Amino acid sequence: MEWIEIFDISLVRSLLRSTAPIAIVGLAAAICSAAGVLNIGLEGKMLNAAFAGVAASYYTESVWAGLAAGITAGLVTALLFGLLSFTLGADEVLAGLAINIFSLAGTTYLMRTIWGQAGFFSDPRIVGFEPIHFTFLEGSFLEPFLSDFTYSVYLMFFLAIALHIVYYRTRLGTAIRATGENPEAAEDAGINTMRIKWLVTIFSGALAGISGLFLSLENLTMFTEGMSAGKGYIGLVASSFGNNTPLGTFGASAFFGLGDAIGIRLQGVYELDSRLILMIPYALTVVVLILIGIRQRLKVRPVPIPES
Amino acid sequence: MNKETAISLKNITKAYPGVVANKNVDFQVYKGEIHALVGENGAGKSTLMKILYGIEQPDEGEILINGTPQVINKVETAINLGIGMVHQEFTLVPSFTAPENIGLGQEPKNSRGLVDWKGLNNAVMQIAKKYGFEVDPGLKMIDASVGVQQRTEILKTLYRNANILILDEPTAVLTPQETDELFTVIRTLVDEGKTVIFITHKLREVMEIADRVTVMRAGEVQGVSETNKTSITELASQMVGREVFLQVKKDEAQPKEKILDVQNLWVHDARGLLAVKGIDLEIKKGEIVGIAGVEGNGQTELVEALTGLRKASKGKVMYLDEDIASSTPKNIRRKKIAHIPEDRTNTGLNTQLSIWENLIGNSYFRKPLSARGIFNLKKVAEHANKLREDFDIRAPNVSLKVKSLSGGNQQKVVVARELSEDPSLTIASQPTRGVDIGNIEAIHEQLVQMRDEGGAVLLVSAELDEVMAVADRVGVMYEGEIVKWVNPKEVDQAQMGLYMAGVKD
Amino acid sequence: MDKFSFKDVLVTVAGLFITVFIAWVLISATGNNPSEVAKYLYEGGFKGTRNIANSLYQATPLILTAVATLISFRVGMFNIGINGSMYVGALYAGWAGYRFTDLGHFSHVTLCIAIGMFVGAAWMLLPALLRVYAGVSEIISTIILNFVAVLFVSYMANGPFRADPIAPATPRILETAELKQIFPNSQFNTGFFIAVFVAILAHFVLNKTTFGYELRSGGDGLVGMYPSRFSSYLGIPSDRSAIIGMLLSGALGGLAGAIEVLGAVRYFFQELEFNQGFDGILIGILGKLEPIGAIIASLFYGAIKNGGFYVDYKTDVAREIIIVLISILIFFVSAQKIVKGLEKYPIVKKMDSFFSRKKM
Repeated sequence: MEWIEIFDISLVRSLLRSTAPIAIVGLAAAICSAAGVLNIGLEGKMLNAAFAGVAASYYTESVWAGLAAGITAGLVTALLFGLLSFTLGADEVLAGLAINIFSLAGTTYLMRTIWGQAGFFSDPRIVGFEPIHFTFLEGSFLEPFLSDFTYSVYLMFFLAIALHIVYYRTRLGTAIRATGENPEAAEDAGINTMRIKWLVTIFSGALAGISGLFLSLENLTMFTEGMSAGKGYIGLVASSFGNNTPLGTFGASAFFGLGDAIGIRLQGVYELDSRLILMIPYALTVVVLILIGIRQRLKVRPVPIPES
Repeated sequence: MNKETAISLKNITKAYPGVVANKNVDFQVYKGEIHALVGENGAGKSTLMKILYGIEQPDEGEILINGTPQVINKVETAINLGIGMVHQEFTLVPSFTAPENIGLGQEPKNSRGLVDWKGLNNAVMQIAKKYGFEVDPGLKMIDASVGVQQRTEILKTLYRNANILILDEPTAVLTPQETDELFTVIRTLVDEGKTVIFITHKLREVMEIADRVTVMRAGEVQGVSETNKTSITELASQMVGREVFLQVKKDEAQPKEKILDVQNLWVHDARGLLAVKGIDLEIKKGEIVGIAGVEGNGQTELVEALTGLRKASKGKVMYLDEDIASSTPKNIRRKKIAHIPEDRTNTGLNTQLSIWENLIGNSYFRKPLSARGIFNLKKVAEHANKLREDFDIRAPNVSLKVKSLSGGNQQKVVVARELSEDPSLTIASQPTRGVDIGNIEAIHEQLVQMRDEGGAVLLVSAELDEVMAVADRVGVMYEGEIVKWVNPKEVDQAQMGLYMAGVKD
Repeated sequence: MDKFSFKDVLVTVAGLFITVFIAWVLISATGNNPSEVAKYLYEGGFKGTRNIANSLYQATPLILTAVATLISFRVGMFNIGINGSMYVGALYAGWAGYRFTDLGHFSHVTLCIAIGMFVGAAWMLLPALLRVYAGVSEIISTIILNFVAVLFVSYMANGPFRADPIAPATPRILETAELKQIFPNSQFNTGFFIAVFVAILAHFVLNKTTFGYELRSGGDGLVGMYPSRFSSYLGIPSDRSAIIGMLLSGALGGLAGAIEVLGAVRYFFQELEFNQGFDGILIGILGKLEPIGAIIASLFYGAIKNGGFYVDYKTDVAREIIIVLISILIFFVSAQKIVKGLEKYPIVKKMDSFFSRKKM
């Protein structure tokens, strides 16, 4: 099989599937960064939600209980972060890092202690999300592009558009952007920046939680130790690359998703070690970071010297 | 002109620990007039306006707006009363356009709950048109000129229905053309019934635009006049006060050979504007040269260029026989040039480090403090403690982190470090800012001592008294140039006021 | 040193109490017996030569990663990638361990360690340059490189460095490259002394040399303070300090990995998992960014880590609970407002000044 043959419908589907988890957590990162909150703790929120979702689904055999549990886990973790950073004055980066370490160890601990399993936990009792089949699209041209995806893909589109509208067409969105760029101007205009920061923290906690949930309850229904594998950080980089805007973040996430999807397909063409394929998202992240750095440097416009 | 009083501040007194910012101040502004509030740094003008705008509360006195007594304890109240303020530092969101900034926090909504940007843009353009300015609704503030940014700030106040506008040093950041444009705007505002209070130290502008002027000095009102019945000279003498400058006790200076020769120096500031425009300056060993002038006239950039913290754009800085105009701080220090910087906490000190670690910043690499890269901590302690004693640094021990010291003590650490290595040239910028009286004297004495021991000192200060008392020769800096060189013993305050206002002979 | 003030000690101790309380709750909630857990924790950490030796063995990499972290923090860079340095340092030390034959013991060990340190430092070069010359956050770049490191070394162990067709591991290192184990039934090895020596050396260099002074002048706080105007004003190039600091911390991370391979594991295999890089961050903070504090905190942490293994073995409670508890302690210690709030109480102020009397 030639490498060019990998560019087919199946790649598009693979692309959307790979993009979704990063896009959703990326949007969570974007909205936080837009308000000036550096949320390193997204990894932890994803992990906690992934775990809570699996646990709830396992005990209740209901995927919706899993959804609720996951979102709650994300929210609670976000509350912890807000409490530490805003109320108790801890450094945002340190708090986020500590939360990530805490969550990794905590979820691993719970999995090993409660279920006695190490490495991963899987059980037929865990109910996951089923892909959605749109009957009205059956047989139409759009079917392969839009049907039979899992919830995360549809949610990603919805969120990107919805957040875009909120950002640019609502008072809340404007307030968020003002808080992030110039808190003094925002306060001066009567905006309560503390309330905005809390709001974005909580909301992004829920979003990160949803993203984590989809990791453990969508394509595979199981919990693996450390399963977020850096997606929280990649989301942060994606949002930074996308200038913290919803559509920009979506685009940047798609870039990562594309790399991921191509890598997986190429594995079929060339016999590449699976580990090298897995490295692709991270290598791409480093490349993107370099690009962001270069872009930053170019922004500093050299001022003309009008010697009067 | 309508003689109704728009604002009346009566008997306002406000004290902060250590200083009385406003003392029994009476301030009256008539409706529809352009009233200038004038004074040097620290005269009390900002405090008075902060009280009017609700940022601060007076200890005594009352405020009447349009004849009715009001209590203004929050900015919101002031805004509701129709008072708008344009600060010296703009509060704009850089990536937003003018309308987005103007409507921030109270954007109009349409029937579906979304922001009605078109409606906002129209409303803003209408207001702008009414007052005679142009607004480009698509221009982001980060791409806009300072003049446009300022007009956006003014529009902000008008959008919030301000009738009384306070402009704080508005021309400080404007080019001459932009200043003219601003004045046109102000006149239109007044024609439309607004009242404008204009805080400035630039007397020429006062005479050009204002109807009346209140002069403040040291927290008190010195005079209220109509501009067509007074002169710059009179205003200047009100602004600056006492007849004669008090001098620090010192002997006659015995200047020897030239040590620093600045030739035609031009320096840009961080925004790309020209801050220093062709300055010539000479310093000899054994003299203290002072640079006087209100802050913001290029002094900061001048010092930065002389100490290697900013590149000079044009010109030479000859130190003995070498041009150090683009030298690094390391090189400059090697030449035994000491620098007491304006910014104590971020530049002059690392407040996370201990006192001794800050004290040895310019001597840590020399014997006996260190040998072959290793510290002799005993000698370091001795040295640090000696400096602590000599310079009267109030701290129980030198291991304390600098951030726990008072401002005055922190400054003493800086001074101790810089003056203790026997510098040939000391450049001191605002050296007694935030320092209490007793220690101010001590620092002045130390500078004079430097001079008497054959060193050279460049003293840059916005405190006129300080410069006139300590320096042997003073250059007055205004808008990037030195407008006049004076002998402090031969010039009176009123004269200085004129020079500081940019009036050359 | 103003760092170990009474206030800070008080907060740490209070934090410990709260952590223990939370531990009690967590353990009981999962149906286990807290006092039993406590007993095994203590025994596993401190009772008997074997346990003590193992505790010291656990502490060995921790000392190094903690010092590595604190060095980078003190030059103003937030380096979270020490774990990655550890992986690559371990891999290449292991490789050097079997690759070079016919060397004497001392030279072989030295060579392996040197290679491990070099690779560990090199791993930090990219993040350092990205930060200094492009302003890219070193937090993100180092974290991402951690993930890359894990994949990379796994790939290498499976591929180019592979020992034999069956086991995904490098060949065992030669005896001449080994760091000797002293006790028969413990993995404690002479690397411990290397680690302690390095920490003491770091303490000396940071606090007592002009080189260390120059490194610290730009930062020396918990929050990355690079770039620093103070440094430039004094004529000290803070760019150079930042890069050197990052390389040094990478080198120490690599050293930690090298010692693990040379002293304990003796070959590099795919499933080898290092977490000490992250533990090092927590320990560095607990030790107030001082190498001596790091040694003490590492010994303590090593002991309870070993105790945690014992608990894991004897009960249903998984050993990860240790990290959970330590991170809770960090939450507490990092909450500045709590520390500042304590200042309100006059007794705290009095005790504070009492303890800070004897200084320079």
